[in-house]
This record gives sequence, structure tokens and C-alpha cells, in this order.
Amino acid sequence: MIKISNLTFRYKDGRKNALDNINLSINKGDFLGITGTSGAGKTSLTYAINGVIPHHYNGDYYGSVRIEGEDTFDTSPSALSLKIGSVFQDIDTQLVSSVVEDEILYGLENFSVPAVEIEQRISSALEAVGISSLRYRSIESLSGGQKQKVALAAILALRPKILLLDEPTSELDPESSVQFYRILRELNENHGITIIVVEQKIMLLSEFAKNILVMDTGKIVINGSVREVIDRSSLLEEIGINCPRVTSLSNRLKEEGVYTGSVCINVEEAEKMVRSIIDD
Amino acid sequence: MRSFFDYIPGNSFLHRLNPLSRIFLSFMISIACFSSKSHLFLLLMILLNLVLAALAGILNRGMELLKNLSKFSVFIFVLQVLFVRRGEVLLEMPFNIIITEDGISTAIIIVLRLIGATMPLALMLSITQMNDLSNILVVKLKIPYKYAFAFTTALRFIPIFASEMSAIIEAQVSRGVQLDTKNIFKKTRLILPLCLPLLITSMKKIEGSAISAEIRGFYLRTGESCYRKYFINWNDVGVLLFAVILFISAVFSNNIKL
Repeated sequence: MIKISNLTFRYKDGRKNALDNINLSINKGDFLGITGTSGAGKTSLTYAINGVIPHHYNGDYYGSVRIEGEDTFDTSPSALSLKIGSVFQDIDTQLVSSVVEDEILYGLENFSVPAVEIEQRISSALEAVGISSLRYRSIESLSGGQKQKVALAAILALRPKILLLDEPTSELDPESSVQFYRILRELNENHGITIIVVEQKIMLLSEFAKNILVMDTGKIVINGSVREVIDRSSLLEEIGINCPRVTSLSNRLKEEGVYTGSVCINVEEAEKMVRSIIDD
Repeated sequence: MRSFFDYIPGNSFLHRLNPLSRIFLSFMISIACFSSKSHLFLLLMILLNLVLAALAGILNRGMELLKNLSKFSVFIFVLQVLFVRRGEVLLEMPFNIIITEDGISTAIIIVLRLIGATMPLALMLSITQMNDLSNILVVKLKIPYKYAFAFTTALRFIPIFASEMSAIIEAQVSRGVQLDTKNIFKKTRLILPLCLPLLITSMKKIEGSAISAEIRGFYLRTGESCYRKYFINWNDVGVLLFAVILFISAVFSNNIKL
């Protein structure tokens, strides 16, 4: 679905490559989490996927990014938006209207969605993220978390095949972050939407993503299933990424010789681990 | 941070009007204020603005706007009084400063005009959604969408920039900069360098907004993309006639000596 080949990009006036020889394939229906420290190139990678690089940011661009066979170099971000829906980190710049309903309508109008379909799309998008009650509210009156849900609903109304999110839970509390990821999982599993999400909180990725990609200084350091990535916890910590607490706990217990099973990647596995230790 | 341009939802008579009628009415009030030299007429225009604000259920914003414009008007009043030297001298002061009858009369007119002409535009924006505004500009006034979008985006960014500025000021105050000083010159000298970080943040936000619009199909939009239909009904006709009458009254008010 998405094929990135030998992609290297350096921003104009940049001292080093923001993306350095990236090779990546993302399949239809995947739920990929991208993580890494600040300046690792995560946002640049999302820009390369939705066409903002090279169309909006100038620089040295080598390699190719293909979305369903279409090269992003030859396709405008507006045309790519028919396939990829993007939600950015800075939510205030993402929202372009003064009322929630208008925000959803904005993209639908741009895409010239038939008038008979619009009402249904607005209500189902709001319902999917659980903000139907906010429909007529002024955007200025919403909290950061509510704004992030509005941005997601506005993209969902466009029915993209791929959903690209850059730190979507940056303004959410832990409880709402989990709730947000549940929505993403539901969209991935029940609607077949491919999800690519940049996230600093690796705990959320280990809980919800199918695959994780770890970046450092513009390069892909690890790419694999959640377990494959979390298993390399020492490398993650070397890069500066804190493993989920349940992983650190299971590693510690293994070091102490108390536990001999596989590394825990989520709370359920940790619960099983603790029960097995108690039972033994 | 809320600004005077933030949309206030409602279902008043004015909210239900075609946005074009609202734009036309507010512009005609402004033009009427600039066309009239009558103190009484200009005062009535300010009163009309407050009545319209009350009708729209936003009297508080109207009063707040009036209060803020009045503060700003004090400077303009003083400048006009000091610089207009025509007419009968009422007061002579050292350094060849004179206050004349014409100076005071002109200052009052300019202040009333400023308040009367600014209020309707801000009030119109308070009861008009940005989407409706840009749609009307495109569909009815045939302005290219990218310019209409740029205009509404600029309005939307005002509170965001105000909030950014206040965050920058708070950050400086927490580092010991005495921005709470009462000395206006000192305060200006301290605030001016803060405009640079604000400019940088603003440029980044504008760039982010442009990207955001682009990746939501900005360039795919056509003239027929607008979902909402904006019909003119009898209420709108009444408001349009009222606006025209206001303008004619403004012209005739110049012949009335009060």
C-alpha cells in the first residue's frame, strides 16, 4: 500500500539528513506506531508520506514514496489527501473553522462530496469519535483533547484509506489517550483503515499497535512487530526511549531469576506474569 | 483567549439572516458613519450598534467593545484637539498650544465615527461563522476562494496570536522582566523585542495552517463545492432597505445643524 524506497531528505539549509535512506513497506490494514526521540525524523517521515515533503518543504530529495503505486513526488498533497487523512501535532493550526460542524464540512466541501451524503458523513464521523454533542459548539470553547477529537472526526468524514497521525494524544490526559487509541483500533479492525501514528508514549503503542518502527537521527533503527521491538529493550534505552513499565518490570524479574517467561508488552501480560509468579 | 471576532452561536433574528445581509448592513452603518458629520447622527449610530448587539443576544460583547474603543479613542481625541488649530480659540497654553472650538468639534466627530464604524464590523463577525463568511465571499461576491480563505484565516488567527503573545509575556515575567510597570515608555521598550518571537511563532502557525488546508483538499475545491445554500428572504430584503435608508439619512444629516 505504501512503499518507501531509498528515501533521503535534507531540508534546505539543514546540516544533516532529516531522513536517511529510509526503506519501508506498510501493508493495507496495518497499525504502525512510529517512535523515537526528538529530532529523530518522525514528523519528516509523515510529511514524506502525505506529500508535504517535497511539495511544501524544499530540500534535497532522493528516492521515492509510492502510495498505492502513485509517486508522491508527482502528486500534489491535495490529490494525495483523497487517500491519506492526516492529523497534525499542533491542533490549533489544523482547525480552520469556528464551529465543529463547519470543521467537518470543510474537507467534505473541498472534496465536492454530494450534498445528499454530507449530513450522514458528518453525523457518523462525530459519532465514531464520540463527540456528537459538540456538533454546534464553537471550536474556541473546546479543550485541547476535544479539539484533537474534532480534527480526527474531520479527517474520518473524508473516509481515507490511510490515517496518518502525528502525536495525536499530546494534549490528552492518560485516560483520554487510551480512549483515543481505542477509537483508532476500532477504525483499524472494523473499518480496515491503515493507521500510521507517531507517538512518544511507547506504552500506548505496545498496547494498541501491530507493528512499531523506531527512528533515530533520520534512520530506521528497528522495524518489527510490537514484541520484536520491545524485546530489544536495551537498544531502545540506549537510544533514549523508555520501555513500558511492564517491560522494565518483567526484565528486572528475569534478571533476578524470579520469572523465566517472555518479556511483557502490556498490562494483561504483566497480570499473567504476576499470577504465574504467585502460583509458583 | 477570546477575541472580539470569535463566533457566538445563537438563533436570533440577526443570526438567521443571510450572511450577505449582515455584511451589507454592517458596511452600510460604517459608510453612514463616514458620510455624516452630525454629532447626533453618529451618537444614534452607536446606539443602533448596541441595539443590534442586544437583538443578537451579544450586548455584553457590544458593551465591552464600546469600552475598549472608548479607551483607544482618548488618544485620538487628544491628538485631534492639539493638532486642529482652526476656529475660535477656547484656551491658550504654553509652547503655543491652543485648543479651538473646531478642534474639539472635529475630535468628537472623529471619535464617534471611529466607534460607530468599527462596532458593526466586529459585531457582524461575532454572529457570522467563518465558513459562511468565506462561502458568501466566494459564491455571492465571486472572490476567488484562496483570498476568501486567507481573509477568514487571518481573522481566526487574531485570538491565537493574542494568546501566544500573552504566553511570551508570562514567560518573560516569570524570568523577572518587569512588564507590569506603569511607565508606558518603559513597558513599550520591554514589549517591542518580544514581537520577534511572536513573529517567528506566527509564521510557523501560518505555515502549519497552509499545510493543513492543503492536505484536506484545499486545491480540489471548486466554485460549486459549497454545501450550504444562502437564500434571500423578506427579512433580508427589509434589512437591506433599512441599510440603504441609513446611508441616505447619513447624507441628509449633514444638512441638519444641531
